[in-house]
Amino acid sequence: MKRRGRGLACMWYPIGFTVTANPSAATVKVNEDGTATLLTGTVETGQGALTVLGQIAAEALGVATDDVHVVSGDTDTMPMDTGAIASRTTYVTGNAVKLAAEKARDILFEVAAPLLGVRADQLEARDRKIQVRAFPQRQLSIGDVALQAQAVKGQPAIGSATWNPPTVPMDPETGQGKPFNTYVYATQIAEVDVDDETGEVDVLRVVAAHDCGTAINPMLVEGQVEGGISMGLGFALQEEILFDAAGRQVNPNLTNYIMPTSLDMPEIEVDIVANYDPTGPFGAKGVGEPTAVPTAAAILNAIHDAVGVRITALPATAEKILAAIKARRAAAGKTLTA
Amino acid sequence: MDSKPVVDGQRQAELQRAATPGVAAEHPLRIYREPLPAVFPAELRVPEVRLQTPAVGQRATRPDARLHGLGQTRYIDDMAFPGMLHARIKRAGVASARILRIDTREAEAMPGVMAVLTGRDIPVNSFGPSFQDQPVLADDRVFHAGDGVAAVAAVTEQLAADALEKIRVEYEPLPAVFDPLEALREDAHQVHAPANNVYARKVIRKGDVETALAASAHVFEQQYRTQMVEHVPIEPHAAIALWDANGRVTLYSSLGRITLGRADVARTLRLPVNRVRLVGTIVGGNFGGKNEITQEPVLALLSKKTGRPVKGVYTRNEEFTASTTRHPFIMDYKTGVDRDGRILARKVRLVLDGGAYCSWSETTLGKAAILSVGPYRIDHLLVEACVVYTNKTMTGAMRGFGAPQVCFAYESQMDEIAAALGIDPLEIRLRNVFVNGSSSPTGQVLDSVVVRESLLQAAERFGWKEGGA
Repeated sequence: MKRRGRGLACMWYPIGFTVTANPSAATVKVNEDGTATLLTGTVETGQGALTVLGQIAAEALGVATDDVHVVSGDTDTMPMDTGAIASRTTYVTGNAVKLAAEKARDILFEVAAPLLGVRADQLEARDRKIQVRAFPQRQLSIGDVALQAQAVKGQPAIGSATWNPPTVPMDPETGQGKPFNTYVYATQIAEVDVDDETGEVDVLRVVAAHDCGTAINPMLVEGQVEGGISMGLGFALQEEILFDAAGRQVNPNLTNYIMPTSLDMPEIEVDIVANYDPTGPFGAKGVGEPTAVPTAAAILNAIHDAVGVRITALPATAEKILAAIKARRAAAGKTLTA
Repeated sequence: MDSKPVVDGQRQAELQRAATPGVAAEHPLRIYREPLPAVFPAELRVPEVRLQTPAVGQRATRPDARLHGLGQTRYIDDMAFPGMLHARIKRAGVASARILRIDTREAEAMPGVMAVLTGRDIPVNSFGPSFQDQPVLADDRVFHAGDGVAAVAAVTEQLAADALEKIRVEYEPLPAVFDPLEALREDAHQVHAPANNVYARKVIRKGDVETALAASAHVFEQQYRTQMVEHVPIEPHAAIALWDANGRVTLYSSLGRITLGRADVARTLRLPVNRVRLVGTIVGGNFGGKNEITQEPVLALLSKKTGRPVKGVYTRNEEFTASTTRHPFIMDYKTGVDRDGRILARKVRLVLDGGAYCSWSETTLGKAAILSVGPYRIDHLLVEACVVYTNKTMTGAMRGFGAPQVCFAYESQMDEIAAALGIDPLEIRLRNVFVNGSSSPTGQVLDSVVVRESLLQAAERFGWKEGGA
């Protein structure tokens, strides 16, 4: 008989490397028409990082996402980057991108200030315009200013910057210190059906509420959460590399190493928890890895809620769950009715 | 000994012709033969959301999504260069052994085989992000079954694979250790003797854990374990190496960290960093598994030896056996609480199965130790964590760096405590979670904390109070 259960798990996760420096650099070049090119040394590993970095540059320049072309991934031409690791791209590379874009924007402000008859620090970049703060009718298009900067002033708008999260080393005896500059938080709740005659688990639904600071691109946050949950589900129930007695893997293939497919995926509901971290670019932190962190714990708690057995060694395969159910029944002195 | 030719006469002639410089450009390179479908309309409609300001907060579509959707993304294996060769690496298949002899003569004599490489050919045969304890190809020792012992470049991938069969390696079997707890014992086989199997430790200490445990109304104790898993990216590790006439090497690679990859390649090849160019492409899944170099130095050296571009793409088997995996954890949790379910003290012992090489184990150990206490206010705690060598596939960076393992433990125990005290699982967490200004296990004052909000928001959406959907 199928028995329903629910389980929740929350977590915390840091952004960036543990104490160790993990800098990023970036260069932003504003073109003659007010569009821009962003150079970054990170690479797109499928998470949408380049889109997010482009949005950060666009925001700082007051232009749209499509106005910024992002170039990445060539050590000959790109500034250094610690890379796509440790959920650091939005936060660390993003801060470098924001600073670089602001430097390029400041050149535009310098050029626009005399034309608008104000000081550079009285200007802002919004809606593809350089405009006077609180007097938006006094404005020039960013394209006109960029062309003026390059072709008249001979001062093209280019900015480069680096950023590294500040940390404090941990004491080797006590571990006390400040290993990370910021952390994110999340909760996932799983609903499962467990067949108490076979031990088979069907994950029906996962509700995920994730903090990532400002969501630079909510759609990409949702994508990360959905992907993370699929990894967490495989970790919880199915995946395991097995070794023979001589230390050789026995299932190094996708026939015998069972990964979740789209058919195994539950219904996923993603909530982004409102938050703003002043140390991140426009308040953003990160979301990549944490999405895979609480899933297994939530599913295992849901299994316990459904059939009363606590599996303490992953993966919680049907065999393990059924054995635990049988042991529990035996201990309760009941005969197995399956 | 089997001396029959592996290919018939006509095929051999074809292969020899293909292997001759000058005719290489005629080599069957799929990408030049297939006409590109007409998928580049002159007028592309840009989605409205990419044109709106301000940019932050927009659900902007990705420029690479169009490429993915049309099958136009060029991954490494979609790339080819004239005259390009294909490399394969021979894997040891034994977990712990001394290499007595490697005989590559028969493989080298095969038509279409252009070069063979062993550990001796690597200028600096070690790499690793924390300790450089991993050889590019095995020197005289094998530390796990997935170790590469030799590599071949041939005109086709199949020929390279066939040539691996002709390489004869003589091993002297050595003792091995596979269980991390066994590896901790004094008398255990030391994987990298004289170094101790325990290659990194982490301690986090705060308050007085023993006194607080003794004063707790209830103490819960449980061991939790997790297994080894693979990243399983759809795109396996892939790279192409080619040299220019000025002695610069370019590597197209699926690496997720090209700046550091370049430094590692330069070090293993003993080249100035500015003679190495690393080009990253869109990566077909990383999840932590593509954070360090793998076959790049091998391809660069095979390319140097042959004067031809060389491509290497891991087989699915190699993805499992010769790339990093997620650390199995053995986690002992002892937690003291008061009658209301407030956690007073927590003692955690973590043993990480580090596999044959360090890779990202030190980072994983550090993050896991810090995070193992959970997002909870606990004044008295002790975490003792270590990672040990075993003669198994190396474990390294994988999405979460140890966090999914410890979260499984601390959240399982949280539910056990809640059940024993008759407190709702949501309520017991709300009583214990960090708030702004809380002190982390390392004594860091936390801000930007919204774990409470995430609990309430998820519970609301799920319908937790109503007893589930």
